[in-house]
Amino acid sequence: MQEFINQYFDVGFMVDHFDEVLEGFWLTVQISIVAGILSLIWGLILAQLRQLPGKGFLPVRFATIAYIDIFRGVPLLIMILLISGSIPSLQFLPEWLRIPQWFGKPDNFWFGVFAITITYGAYMAEVYRSGIESVPRGQMEAARSLGMSHRQAMRNVILPQAVRKVFAPLLNDFIALMKDTTLVSAIALSEVALVGRDLQSDTLNSSALTLGAILFLLVTLPLARLVDRLISREQGRFTRGAPRVEAL
Amino acid sequence: MEGFDGGGPMLKLENIHKRFGRLEVLRGVDLEVKRGEVVCVLGPSGSGKSTLLRCVNLLEPPEQGEIFVEGRDICKGSESPAGEAGWELDFVRQRVGIVFQQFNLFPQKTALENVTLAPEKVLGRKAEEARSKGTALLERVGLAEKLNEYPERLSGGQQQRVAIARALAMDPHVMLFDEVTSALDPELVKEVLDAMRELAAEGMTMIVVTHELGFAREVGDQVVFMDEGVIVEQGPPSQVLDAPREERTKKFLGLVLER
Repeated sequence: MQEFINQYFDVGFMVDHFDEVLEGFWLTVQISIVAGILSLIWGLILAQLRQLPGKGFLPVRFATIAYIDIFRGVPLLIMILLISGSIPSLQFLPEWLRIPQWFGKPDNFWFGVFAITITYGAYMAEVYRSGIESVPRGQMEAARSLGMSHRQAMRNVILPQAVRKVFAPLLNDFIALMKDTTLVSAIALSEVALVGRDLQSDTLNSSALTLGAILFLLVTLPLARLVDRLISREQGRFTRGAPRVEAL
Repeated sequence: MEGFDGGGPMLKLENIHKRFGRLEVLRGVDLEVKRGEVVCVLGPSGSGKSTLLRCVNLLEPPEQGEIFVEGRDICKGSESPAGEAGWELDFVRQRVGIVFQQFNLFPQKTALENVTLAPEKVLGRKAEEARSKGTALLERVGLAEKLNEYPERLSGGQQQRVAIARALAMDPHVMLFDEVTSALDPELVKEVLDAMRELAAEGMTMIVVTHELGFAREVGDQVVFMDEGVIVEQGPPSQVLDAPREERTKKFLGLVLER
């Protein structure tokens, strides 16, 4: 038992290496937040592209669905490796894109953000879609009958209702995104998992990784509770909105 | 209601056909509505009367047939050579307002915001102008006290009156009413019908799909009886309601009056 505690919960070890682990976790948080915000935006764009009406937009809808299917199906780790490994070698790309150093962050930071965004954007697009489709059809009809274009109706009537409904599932996806951010350790970004692993192989002690896990829980547990509360509030909400109105 | 003073009908439907899948809901409907006229459409459920209304403002564009609003051809049918390109969506939606059975108010907006949204976004009215006009419209339907309430805090009758004000805010020349009292508790029906009576008295051109025979008799200039996707009988209320010629009309009226 003592052995187990020494391996995973060596408090002295944790205190000694607290600063390094915290620094790694801070990088994780930064990547998560930047990639999270970009995924929210990209997902919303994808969801709207998928909902464009009429025959003319059929190719756009088809391409969007294909994108969503593909990027939900490819493992994030493979995306990270594909992007970071070869984008810098693509000489036809301008250098600011090939070796991005925006806001003082190294290129691997942005490759990680990029890979997470294109993957999680696909997930979030599906969440937005479920929200858009849960808005009763009569809402779109009412907006269109008042002369609004599809775009105006989406922005002013449908999306405000849809986003409110999917706030909790989006937050859930954000929690998953944050945890998956540790995959960027594969491209030598010193985020919390890599810091912990280096310490583990140097000292044969896993307590730094445990500390990283605890830091994660400090953030994800309150978020998970918040999701629960939002869901129960949404379910308890008195919705008197119109049911789906079928023609005839 | 200014603008159109041509001699022709305000609204004209010619040989309208509408299918949902294999079901042909409208099988050749012709109808003319004169300016200022109130046309009440009766018929059993599934007769196509709601679909007919939804064809008029192209929420459900017909496959065949032509629709004229103020003399302008707004739709030649989706199967005609013109196809969708021939649909004058902006023209028809800025002239033809509709009120739905289920109200369809925007739940995240107050009564006043429901009324001002489209004028601001579509007509580009200034917020202040839209608000004062919206306030006047809500006062007119007896909701001066409820400007800032959200729909879920309003009764069905109040919600429906907001929906009427919302449609009127776009200055329509024609108003369509799709069974607007069918989802209401009985004691709330009158307040909505009163708002419609007033509108009719002011000279609004209206097509009213309804089961309220009293309203049709009192307010209607023309009564249309539909069944199985065609107009079976039409004429002044005194004729269609009191001395129907067709068997199907008699049978339907008998069933409605039995209640």
